[in-house]
Amino acid sequence: MRIEFILNGEAVAVEAPPDITLLDLLRDYLNLTGTKEGCAVGECGACAVIKDGRLVNSCMVLAPQAEGCEIVTIEGVHAADGGPNDLQQHFIEYGAVQCGICIPGMIMAGEALLRQNPHPTRAEIRLALAGNLCRCTGYQQIVDAIEATAKGRRAQP
Amino acid sequence: MPLFDYARASTIDEAIALLNDPRWVSRPLAGGTDLLVQVRHTKPNFQRLVDVSRIPAMRSVAREEGEIRIGAAVTYTELVESPLLCEHAACLVEAARLVGGPAIANTGTLGGNVGNGAACADGVPPLVCLDALAHVANSEGMRAVPVADLLLGPHQTALQPGDLITHFTFPLLPAGTRSVFLKIGRRNAQAIARLNVAVAGRLSADGRIEFVRVVPGSALPRLRRFTEVEDMLLGERPSTALFEAAGAAASRVMVAATGRRWSTDYKAIALQALVSRALRRVFRMQESNGTHAH
Ligand SMILES: Cc1cc2nc3c(=O)[nH]c(=O)nc-3n(C[C@H](O)[C@H](O)[C@H](O)COP(=O)(O)OP(=O)(O)OC[C@H]3O[C@@H](n4cnc5c(N)ncnc54)[C@H](O)[C@@H]3O)c2cc1C
Ligand code: FES
Ligand code: FES
Repeated sequence: MRIEFILNGEAVAVEAPPDITLLDLLRDYLNLTGTKEGCAVGECGACAVIKDGRLVNSCMVLAPQAEGCEIVTIEGVHAADGGPNDLQQHFIEYGAVQCGICIPGMIMAGEALLRQNPHPTRAEIRLALAGNLCRCTGYQQIVDAIEATAKGRRAQP
Repeated sequence: MPLFDYARASTIDEAIALLNDPRWVSRPLAGGTDLLVQVRHTKPNFQRLVDVSRIPAMRSVAREEGEIRIGAAVTYTELVESPLLCEHAACLVEAARLVGGPAIANTGTLGGNVGNGAACADGVPPLVCLDALAHVANSEGMRAVPVADLLLGPHQTALQPGDLITHFTFPLLPAGTRSVFLKIGRRNAQAIARLNVAVAGRLSADGRIEFVRVVPGSALPRLRRFTEVEDMLLGERPSTALFEAAGAAASRVMVAATGRRWSTDYKAIALQALVSRALRRVFRMQESNGTHAH
């Protein structure tokens, strides 16, 4: 079936079977492999994307459910020159990345939080990451990086 | 060959027509957070999913006369964001706040929670505590069923093929009633570690319990109000001793119904603590000295 939606700001139309997930649609039909598959059953958040402004796990969305929606994936998060944006830069600076598999989901969860709440407390940051698992970092540095980004964005005019 | 087909409904009538189309075995799809896990593990027993997540009439929360109406496709995030529910259904909002992480809360729906029929479904004890009706549509028309009557046992519901829960309604609680929801245990842990409870209550002018509902989840094969416990509370004054006794009574009700099993020792203690804590919170008892705080 034909599925049309806005992907990282651009209209896309893709022919795909009706029984696959948005995760498979992104990775296998649109070649956007930044979104990761961890558990494929909603538990780990590696596949998180922003759908109509809200964080969702793309393994828990049926591909045809993206029809007409605005989807932002990790490929849609970057600075104007295509390099890392402030959040991504802070992940690097704070040592919040080790093996990296959870990071696309962590960045999407961080972006989703900061769009809704520019003044998150550390507790709110932790809650926002409640569905994202990381086996390497111990989370502390990830929370630090999001906190630093929130501060930085507030300081901007 | 795809395992199943997909169709999107934009109105309730369209959904009913699609679900009752005799050429297909169809099932409603809302957030997909239960269904997509199931199709990952087992071959689907349906041929088509009918997406009901975009039907406007199923997505709103409203007050109508003395009732609150919640569309079945309202997500947990939307429940939490509803000022109306924060005011009139605190136990349901607390349950919604404790579901999954944000991504699951943004997708999972109340109708899906009931439709899935899991014993540990967090949305169900609050709905039963609020005395909610599920409004079910099919090709013959609409019927209203108490939520407790829809759930026959773990993963068994009274929903028939072609049925769609369109919305839930519940009467406003008497003025001054408070309600709470507590849960323990991780979703993925064994059922032994899963218990939850919704409690609502109100004191009379002279400080006696004049209204109370106690609904533990995952405690009985079929979820229901623990009227045995409610009866021993009615007319009494809140006290730590009373609520400890109520917790113990709740445990006895559970053990009497389920018999002793390997998990009983744990569950009996946990349920006792959970029920008495919920009662203390509803009646605003301070945890430390047991006095009643206003
Ligand atoms: C990581 C993770 C964490 C979770 N955490 C929790 C938790 O803390 N507490 C909890 O209770 N649950 C939890 N769940 C389970 C799930 O998210 C909830 O049960 C959710 O409410 C299901 O809603 P849905 O809209 O996603 O249902 P779907 O998957 O779309 O549907 C579930 C079932 O209900 C049926 N259905 C859907 N809508 C209707 C309707 N309107 N009328 C009739 N039948 C319908 C479907 O046909 C299907 O059989 C979790 C799931 C995951 C993956
Ligand atoms: S891959 Fe989607 S949540 Fe783990
Ligand atoms: S960096 Fe390895 S899982 Fe998070």
